[in-house]
Amino acid sequence: MADDKMQGLDHSEAHYFNSYNHHGIHEEMLKDEVRTRSYMNAIVQNKHLFKDKIVLDVGCGTAILSMFAVKAGAKHVIGVDMSTIIEKAKEIVEVNGMSDKITLLQGKMEEVEVPFPKVDIIISEWMGYFLLYESMLDTVLYARDKYLAPNGLIFPDKATIFMAGIEDGEYKDEKIGFWDNVYGFDYSPLKKTALTEPLVDTVEIKAVVTDPTAVLTLDLYTCTTADLAFTSPFTLDARRDDFVHALIAWFDIDFTACHKPIRFSTGPHTKYTHWKQTVFYLREVLTVQQGEQIKGILENKPNEKNKRDLDVKIAYKLITDDPMRQAEGACTYKMC
Amino acid sequence: MSESAPPTEKKENAPPSSVSSEASDILDLRDDEGWEDAEPDEEESQFISLLDDEVFTDIMSMLNHCKDKYSFDFLEVRQKLGLDFYGNIKLVNYIRSQVHNGLPIPSDISRKDFDDEAFLKPVLEDDALLFSLDDLPDIVEAPHDAHDKGKGVEKDPRELISRVSELEEELRKIKFQFDGYRATVKETLDKKWDDQGASGQSGSPEKEEKRDDDSHYFSSYSYNDIHETMLKDSVRTDAYRDFIYNNKSLFAGKTVLDVGCGTGILSMFCAKAGATRVIAVDNSAIIDKARENIFNNGFADTITCLRGKIEEVTLPVDKVDIIVSEWMGYCLLYEAMLDSVIWARDRYLRPDGLMVPSHMNMWMAPIADPDYIADHISFWRDVYGFDMKAMQAGIHEDAQVLDMPASTLCAEPFPFMQLELHSTSVKDLVFKIKWQAKLKQDIDALDGFIIWFDTFFMPSRGDTLPEDAKAEEWASSGKKGTAFTTGPGGKVTHWKQGVLLIDNTANKPASRKAGEQVSGELEYSVPENNSRALNVGTTWKFDGEGKENSQLWKMR
Repeated sequence: MADDKMQGLDHSEAHYFNSYNHHGIHEEMLKDEVRTRSYMNAIVQNKHLFKDKIVLDVGCGTAILSMFAVKAGAKHVIGVDMSTIIEKAKEIVEVNGMSDKITLLQGKMEEVEVPFPKVDIIISEWMGYFLLYESMLDTVLYARDKYLAPNGLIFPDKATIFMAGIEDGEYKDEKIGFWDNVYGFDYSPLKKTALTEPLVDTVEIKAVVTDPTAVLTLDLYTCTTADLAFTSPFTLDARRDDFVHALIAWFDIDFTACHKPIRFSTGPHTKYTHWKQTVFYLREVLTVQQGEQIKGILENKPNEKNKRDLDVKIAYKLITDDPMRQAEGACTYKMC
Repeated sequence: MSESAPPTEKKENAPPSSVSSEASDILDLRDDEGWEDAEPDEEESQFISLLDDEVFTDIMSMLNHCKDKYSFDFLEVRQKLGLDFYGNIKLVNYIRSQVHNGLPIPSDISRKDFDDEAFLKPVLEDDALLFSLDDLPDIVEAPHDAHDKGKGVEKDPRELISRVSELEEELRKIKFQFDGYRATVKETLDKKWDDQGASGQSGSPEKEEKRDDDSHYFSSYSYNDIHETMLKDSVRTDAYRDFIYNNKSLFAGKTVLDVGCGTGILSMFCAKAGATRVIAVDNSAIIDKARENIFNNGFADTITCLRGKIEEVTLPVDKVDIIVSEWMGYCLLYEAMLDSVIWARDRYLRPDGLMVPSHMNMWMAPIADPDYIADHISFWRDVYGFDMKAMQAGIHEDAQVLDMPASTLCAEPFPFMQLELHSTSVKDLVFKIKWQAKLKQDIDALDGFIIWFDTFFMPSRGDTLPEDAKAEEWASSGKKGTAFTTGPGGKVTHWKQGVLLIDNTANKPASRKAGEQVSGELEYSVPENNSRALNVGTTWKFDGEGKENSQLWKMR
């Protein structure tokens, strides 16, 4: 059954959906306490919103959010996922006695037949690294446009990408400088590639040299897939005298419909999440003084060939009166 | 091997950055009462007063308490000092540390009091206040608005971006010219080799640009990460280097074939050791990087890179003296290219030629590891109050790739197979082998089995190797050749070990005593529907018991 569904997908798509079959990913996501607990609080603490409602869980995975919704009093939940994990989800829902409340469908959101013309609430954990990499946001927006009743709710409904500059000399050297001498050989062609591959990793708060700044806010009630390709100017205020080797990005997620608004952040200042932060190394090292600014533009768009990949451009300029430290440049990155 | 790592491993292999790779404290979940029933009342955050021990369920009540009882107005201080997010955090931690140390809070706090970065570190563990600073009313004159602040500079970065486009266009042109140049060089070389098949098979540059779905799929393994992981696997790379550099006489003046060359490192080792000609073959796009590396290091005259499957490309020579390859996969044979290496040996290696490496000894051992079982299997019994045992079922179906501590082994390892690379054939790669082991300690349960391999590089074809030779002892005892282990006793490699967990969910397993004998039959097979996957199964039975158990694990 499940395997049949995979046919007709091109290889990269099948690869994406299949990789979710691995247990490790679901284990990692469920054990990400910040993530799972925030969703639980947002849903279970808002019984007044969920009571007797029809709920759609987009990309339901192991169906944990669907089960939270049932606990919160939902009349019925439809969980949709492309991955074969849905077979496990069915077993899980069954042993937890919720089979009559939760309908699980395997397939693409665009292709499955949802047994209700409209739903009252959409819940989804669609976020990827850098918010948008391998994210299911386009699927959530499709589901919103097709199924969400007027005045229906979306959990979560707001996402904000932040950036900041970091000092990361030692690790940059280990990561990028490595290619200068590999067992006595010059491997510089791979160094160029390494600079274009953003790194997903945890960054210590003490490495952060500038104030954070928001570069993109998505309101899930109104945004469109066109908003996922964006160009945002940004300004980073240096908080101390230091070097800046890289810019980092992370995101915050808001559930504003809750009685008591719930938010979680994937930034370096707070608890670990499996999204960590995304590190964009700059080709040169900026030397900044407290009070100076780095001004720039972040440009992001899905790759034309493989829309799950992202093409990112960062143009930057250090605003300083010191002629010795003038610096500006532009880097392109590919998340794949 | 460019294609051996499963995709989910991709990011996980990277070491942590300048950082605490603090794993989330997952085990706490199960101990944290009140989770299971998901009752909102018990989920409330607990705000501990800034100035005494009182606890509040919301932030404003706590701050009002401080204001009423101690005339300390946090919001006012924050407003007065115009603090940003991090300033707020430092202020909170400063106050908490003063209170903690029994010191007074100055009536007019200034930024200087808590300027130290040390105040970014929470004084209280899981301080709810720190997580809720965003919930506080905004400071008048909102601090950050990216769009407003950006306006002043829009011009500069826009110019930068248009400059980038110009440069990109230039780069495209140059790339195009280079492709043309490369095609010309290629043609010249092909003519020089006087090999009619070469031009068609090895692919002109235009051909390389075209990608079908397959090559796109493989290209996900052609990025730096996987090669970085392999190159930085110093156990692996050092062993190849040591053997090649310590046996230069074997390579001097020879023709070498590198099957699955990746970034070209082994080819360059061989060239540096004196090989007169090296042919490097890989079916991944990484070969473009290999070509550049080889050119940059001055080996372009010695090393020829060919993109394609070894069975399909046409080599510029009929026979080679040495085949070097790093073909090993998880559990040795998963997604392994050994079939291709054997094919290349039969087609291209001279009768007296040398295989590098030359021998593989494969090991298995029973394991008992209650901690691992608790972390990864029992976890599913209660996930946020839900029964997710359905997830735990699958963990027994797939072989896991993990680095296990040596303490996990509850018996001496058993050498179940030796592959002699000069003589082994493809049919030898599926097999059934009897094994036995004697427990060296008491265990609560037999949790599973672990599989690894030792790689040996012997300097001549005639060299034989005992089937129970251990690489770690071989290397230290000064025997000839080079060897490395991927076992739990040695330094970790990117292969780690293959872990086969026994499904003990249906029947509670028996505890066992030291000295008990267990034996069985291990089987390696290839599933019909996927020739790149691997099935590993075994039977096992304790001496004196009638019941034979069996289980099959998939590597996919």
